[in-house]
Amino acid sequence: MFTLAWRELQSDVLRTLLTAVALGSVIAVVLVLQGFEQGQYHQLERMVLNRKSDLVVTQAGISNFIAVRSSIPQLSRADVEAVQGVIDAHPITAIPIIYEKNNLRTPVYVIVFDTRGGPTSIVDGRDVEKGRDIVIDYALAEKYDIRLGDEFLVTDFRFHVSGITREAAFMMPFAFIGYDGMIDLFLESEIAPDLSTFPLLSYMLVELEPGANRDHVARDIEARVPAVDVFTPEALAARDVNLGRIFLGPIMGLLVAVAYVIGLLVVGLILYVDVRGRSRSLAVLKALGFPWRRLMVAVACQALLLLVIALPVGILIGQLLTTYIHAVAPVYLVRIFEPMVLIKTIVAGLVFALFGALIPVRSLRRTDPSSAFAGA
Amino acid sequence: MLVWAWKSLIAQRGAVLGGALGIAGSFILVVFFHAVFRGESGQIVAYPEHMQPDVWVMQRGVRNMHMATSSVWDWKADKVADIPGVARVTPILYLNSVITAGNQKSFSFIVGLLPDDHRAGPWEMVAGREVSSQGETVIPDVLSNLLDVSIGDRVTIADTSFTIVGLSTGTYSMANSVIFVAFSDLERILSSSGTYSYLLVDAEEGIDPEALAGKIRREVEKVNALPHEEFVENDFAIAMQMGVEIIFMMTVISAILAILIVCFTAYSLVMRKRRELAIAKALGMRGSAVLFGVVFQSCILTLFGFAIAAVFAMIVIPYIPLLLPQLSLTVAVSELLQIGVTALLVAMVGAIIPAYLVLRLDPATAFNV
Repeated sequence: MFTLAWRELQSDVLRTLLTAVALGSVIAVVLVLQGFEQGQYHQLERMVLNRKSDLVVTQAGISNFIAVRSSIPQLSRADVEAVQGVIDAHPITAIPIIYEKNNLRTPVYVIVFDTRGGPTSIVDGRDVEKGRDIVIDYALAEKYDIRLGDEFLVTDFRFHVSGITREAAFMMPFAFIGYDGMIDLFLESEIAPDLSTFPLLSYMLVELEPGANRDHVARDIEARVPAVDVFTPEALAARDVNLGRIFLGPIMGLLVAVAYVIGLLVVGLILYVDVRGRSRSLAVLKALGFPWRRLMVAVACQALLLLVIALPVGILIGQLLTTYIHAVAPVYLVRIFEPMVLIKTIVAGLVFALFGALIPVRSLRRTDPSSAFAGA
Repeated sequence: MLVWAWKSLIAQRGAVLGGALGIAGSFILVVFFHAVFRGESGQIVAYPEHMQPDVWVMQRGVRNMHMATSSVWDWKADKVADIPGVARVTPILYLNSVITAGNQKSFSFIVGLLPDDHRAGPWEMVAGREVSSQGETVIPDVLSNLLDVSIGDRVTIADTSFTIVGLSTGTYSMANSVIFVAFSDLERILSSSGTYSYLLVDAEEGIDPEALAGKIRREVEKVNALPHEEFVENDFAIAMQMGVEIIFMMTVISAILAILIVCFTAYSLVMRKRRELAIAKALGMRGSAVLFGVVFQSCILTLFGFAIAAVFAMIVIPYIPLLLPQLSLTVAVSELLQIGVTALLVAMVGAIIPAYLVLRLDPATAFNV
């Protein structure tokens, strides 16, 4: 049956090519949708892990890095550093701002850092060294056509772009400044008169002595400083990913479901058109005594062969679309080569092929063997 | 030729329907993206939209609420209240945070209300009552279902435990569910005192909000004041802008998919009728007429697919939130029309390969196919 199906595909190469591209496109859409979702989760995870610490200290009751306001009493830094096993507690402050230029506004997550927690993927320029230095995300630089050395206005305070990094998270680009920059921003900008609600210390990145037990040190810090909670970076990242899933899960689930339905329809359409187009040759087979069930197996074989051809085409198209997305909107990471994404898509493709093969059943059953001789 | 093209489509109803459904699916993907972002953006601005003060006052440099931080000294509220034309000033404290119930979490938009403030509180309650004292909260009805909590249960916001005393409706959004708490509770969470986030200013009758906003900006130092409509527009624009790029990308991807499906279907239709087309050419039919027939078929097929997508968008999408209450979906007719224009382009591009084949079709094949 595979031979019959293979010969059928060879009989019209252009049509087989078009079919493979159409089916491959559906696979690519599913891949990109799932890769987009996984990409967002990956960015959320890296957002914490890239800060490179052994433990992360948050305000008591705060267990996320995104979408929350964490404010730690400044004096608690000394208390944390006094705990046995702690080398240093590096401060960072998170300030969400809305960047505006040419009537275009973008929420930006500004991370203020001192000795650790700064940008980790600088692609152009250098790190923050002076008070007015700012390192911005590539997505922001592209969107607003900002280059190294350009001004970057935050509520009327002028920063100078010293570096461009590739770090965005959950639909938001990052920017990094130093504490000198933050203090100057607060004092010189419009924020200064109403400073009381701004957190000056959001998180601490704890660096441990070699061999120190993370869990023990975390417990000791929480016991000594009741105003804070302590997490391993992995645990905090997992909580952010979980929060991201709550937000993106239902939307992406619905869209992937729609893409699956399209996939089924496309495979079904392809096979239906094919069966209708071959009705005479199928009638010959029926006249020769082939039961319709065997013909169904032949159609299913054809669907599977098409899938085998379409999968690499789909992955190629998916990669092209991913490259396009990264070029147009670099803030969104799409990861189509995640093993889970690929496995899910291949399984979905198999389901498309098998269920799609059921669509022309009626047509196949109704094929009249006598039509084989019509017009002969 | 048009009659032939039409009859040819009618004769292959199954293939046409299958192709149209595939095309419809591609457009439905785009419609979904539009609907999700428009619906969610609409819910994000639900709070400011329902409050409807004449003027919003906030820290200078701030122009909206969503994902913004604003801080205004309390004495500035008194100063605004003293400006002629101001009938009432209602201050609120505001924070973007996460609400937790058990192991469940949700993004939230916490509004701190002064005692006996009914002006800035929930606009529609479905159960219980409004916040009247510390430690109490009102949460959206949808959120109470998702978190599996109800009146009397406890939720946590930034290490502070609250008892649910009421459920509001129309206040849920995936990105920002509106949660109401007492002002003093939020003040404690923020470790702040003597500051407000936003001031809701109601003007006396006959006062122009735009002029009043200008007056507030001039007379009160370092604040921004915006008429209600402008403030809501800014908020909506920020929310939508986060989706603009995704919507654009999905439109392109889905359009490519639709083009391929149109191309495949039109190609199949042409190949099945190539003998008839060859005869028509042999009988003297001009190539342009045959070409027109192919493009016509492609247009009909695409428009049929678009029509199915439009019907789905108008009839089915509004009911999806009944199954998935966490989704806010809004379909805008203007966006459907934009997709319709895309559909026409899809039809034209999708017809290129079949048209090329038709133009190359040798009339002599009419006699040996």
